[in-house]
Amino acid sequence: VSWRSSLPPSERPGERRTAEMKKLYGKDAAKIQGMEAAMQLTFDRNCDKKQPKYWPVIPLNL
Amino acid sequence: SPRFIALCPTTVSTSSSGSVDEEEQRLRSELRERFLRTLLLMTDKQVQFDMFEKVRVRATFGASDIDVLNFQVSDLETPLGVQKEALLRCHDMISCSFEL
Amino acid sequence: MLQWSDRSPQHWREFVNHEVCVTVQDQQRFEGRVFTVDPVSASVVLVSVQENERPSVRVILGHAVTDVQILRRGTEETERQMKSVFLPDQTQILSA
Repeated sequence: VSWRSSLPPSERPGERRTAEMKKLYGKDAAKIQGMEAAMQLTFDRNCDKKQPKYWPVIPLNL
Repeated sequence: SPRFIALCPTTVSTSSSGSVDEEEQRLRSELRERFLRTLLLMTDKQVQFDMFEKVRVRATFGASDIDVLNFQVSDLETPLGVQKEALLRCHDMISCSFEL
Repeated sequence: MLQWSDRSPQHWREFVNHEVCVTVQDQQRFEGRVFTVDPVSASVVLVSVQENERPSVRVILGHAVTDVQILRRGTEETERQMKSVFLPDQTQILSA
């Protein structure tokens, strides 16, 4: 049993995402994560404000 | 996360060679940054969407989610009139185009 | 055979800056110069710059792509031209 197991099982979602980004994008991870966060924030904010509905209602490509 | 598993090819997860990983990370970053810049360029532009079933609509592009699953658009010109605010599923879409 | 969307960044990078023909599911074809291929969605971004016309950009969703063929190889000049379309110079950013 490694010493790590004595640590509380506190996996923070943000931490895992950062580790994944690091593995995918290496030294540019912070830059890409920043650009993605900005884009997702715009998307979420627009959806909150404008309440768009799916068009068409039924997917075309099932 | 599922997104990471989907994105992460075997070359990243199993490769023992650091330099290969670094080269792949550099290429992935460059390609991704260029794509994100394309989406930023598309913001507030009139975009034509070519969808499956020969459906073709126009709208003003607002934003995409980071997984490229949904586009938030405004003033969508549908065959049945204008829908002020809409979400388009990227899986319904073949391509979209705009002028600069 | 590997699907387009399952390819590696190395494979996608091979197409950047070249003029290509992209074939999609219903046999429709699109031609243009590749600016990038999104490593998340495998979507191809094509640019067409015709004389006396505004540059146009087409994003082809990765899930619809069945084939990509290189028609003509790009040069340093085409790469520079393409970058100027997407990455406006500093003076424009400052004056915006």
